[in-house]
Amino acid sequence: MIKVNGLYHSYSNDENYAVKNVEFEISKGEVFGFLGPSGAGKSTTQGVLTGLLPLQKGEVEVVGYNIRHPKREMFNKIGVSFEQSNVYGKLTALENLEFYRKLFDVETMNSMDLLKWVGLDHVANKKAGEFSKGMKHRLTFIRSMLNNPELWFLDEPTTGLDPAIASQIKDIVKEKNKQGATVFLTTHNMYVADELCHRVAFIIDGEIKLIDSPRNLKLQHGEKFVVVEHLENDVIKKEQLSLIIDRDKARLNEIISTGKIEIMHTKEATLEEIFIKVTGRGLK
Amino acid sequence: MRKLWMTFLKDAKLSFNSFYFYMEIGMALIFVAVLLFVVPENFESSQKFYIAMELETADTETFQQLMGNSEDVTVLDNRSEIVNAMKKDRSSVGAIIRKNDDKIVYEMILQGYENESMKNLIKAGIEGEILTQIPGFSSQITVRTLEMDSEKLSDRINIIPIYLTMNVGLMGLFIIAAYIFLDKEEGVIKAYAVAPVAVWQYLASKMMIMLMMGLITSFITVLAIVGFSVNYLYLFGLIVAFNTFGSALGLFLSSFFNTMVKAMGVLYVFIMIMMLPVISYLMPSFNPMWIKWFPSYPMMFSMRELLFENGDQSYIMMQIGIYLVLGLLLFVAANHRFKKTLTV
Repeated sequence: MIKVNGLYHSYSNDENYAVKNVEFEISKGEVFGFLGPSGAGKSTTQGVLTGLLPLQKGEVEVVGYNIRHPKREMFNKIGVSFEQSNVYGKLTALENLEFYRKLFDVETMNSMDLLKWVGLDHVANKKAGEFSKGMKHRLTFIRSMLNNPELWFLDEPTTGLDPAIASQIKDIVKEKNKQGATVFLTTHNMYVADELCHRVAFIIDGEIKLIDSPRNLKLQHGEKFVVVEHLENDVIKKEQLSLIIDRDKARLNEIISTGKIEIMHTKEATLEEIFIKVTGRGLK
Repeated sequence: MRKLWMTFLKDAKLSFNSFYFYMEIGMALIFVAVLLFVVPENFESSQKFYIAMELETADTETFQQLMGNSEDVTVLDNRSEIVNAMKKDRSSVGAIIRKNDDKIVYEMILQGYENESMKNLIKAGIEGEILTQIPGFSSQITVRTLEMDSEKLSDRINIIPIYLTMNVGLMGLFIIAAYIFLDKEEGVIKAYAVAPVAVWQYLASKMMIMLMMGLITSFITVLAIVGFSVNYLYLFGLIVAFNTFGSALGLFLSSFFNTMVKAMGVLYVFIMIMMLPVISYLMPSFNPMWIKWFPSYPMMFSMRELLFENGDQSYIMMQIGIYLVLGLLLFVAANHRFKKTLTV
């Protein structure tokens, strides 16, 4: 679906690159996460991939089209949801969707159905300018689904949304992916990436440091711990024990044998912890 | 074409939902109302002339008969009366005519702002009037009219070409840039850029909105002030040509900037320079060759030809053709530039 080779991009048209030698491939049906802090080069990469930024150096192929010579019809296969809501404030939610729907040359989804999907059907005829930030974000999100995209670019799809709506958005992404959509997800939220992505790329200072599945990353870079809360002399005690160190393993057996365990769970490393470990930088 | 039409309908809806559309219509109506109810059909352009004569009674009567026929000439008794009258009317001039050694001489009293050419004009006027009264004097001046059928518009109608040029040709330049930068600022341009539509369709839709506004306001104005004596097909042609040129120029200029603030200075200078031909229009004596190269010059003068009963149709047709071609060339150039810069 996406092939990127030796991608460079500079906003000042000099050697000061915002992205450097970026290379990756995304297969059909994959959810690929682009993980990095603000200013790492995520949006620049997505900008080039979606044709919003010119391809200066490198080779990029998106849904079979060479981005150096993009064709307008390729956008019939692509959907883009932006981090910043960008809807026409003086048009109603329904008018916004209907306008874009009529620009596609392929079969499109019903605007009202989409509005229902994200709980905006009751404000379908209200001007988008009167919407809250979250409502605008949902409208921007469903607009990107109008053409049933084969390749779906999502830029921070859950940022700034309350947990219930964020969960709803994640469910929609999972559902569309099940139906065959390939997703390019740009985020700095490791929980979203962890939950949705088959593979993630860590990008920092414009360079990709690592690409792998969240599971492999956790296995390779995480340490295996068990967190146990147990009663000892009528006092709740919390301990984090390694599953590798012998002394900790013996202690765990001892606690299990006393039978006074209240809570026990394994604690893998989070993507954020792995990111920090690999890049030496945080995700904020 | 379907996508262009959909984009135009969306832009039209946005315009109807904004104040700007109603403001422009409102301004056209205010302009019409001012022209109809405030501006006279023809401006008062005569200059008051106060004169006092320190002559013998017979000579005074002769001159009074001579000068007193005009409404613009007032005969007063002495110098101080002239000065007082001139202080009340700062556009007036005065003169005292007296005899000195049997020769008739005069003293001109001026406001102080008159330039040499105006002084000479007043001087020639007085001397001409006096010389004609000398027995035996015959004028050697031959008057030849270059254009026997020359038409003159009323002062009220004469203002319309300036309004149309400003409204259709020049303001469009500014407004279309504002539309583009507003879309950039709201980010909607990015959403449009990832839809299967071409940049030219986006730009052409904006130009069509400008054209719609131009046609509505121009037709309201011309219809209300001039009535049905105008060839509206030519008016349509001129508005389409000048509007296309103005908005394409606005698009081309704005393609070099990424914010309205940065573009505003250049657009402002451009509009101000383009307004220079108004001087030639209102003051025909100032008509250097270089000013004719400004696009607003032929715009104004072809609009004026349109308002004449027997205007030069070939001139009008030529301007329609020239500005349609120039407009389309600028549009192609703007489209070429915006393909690279619209979302950057």
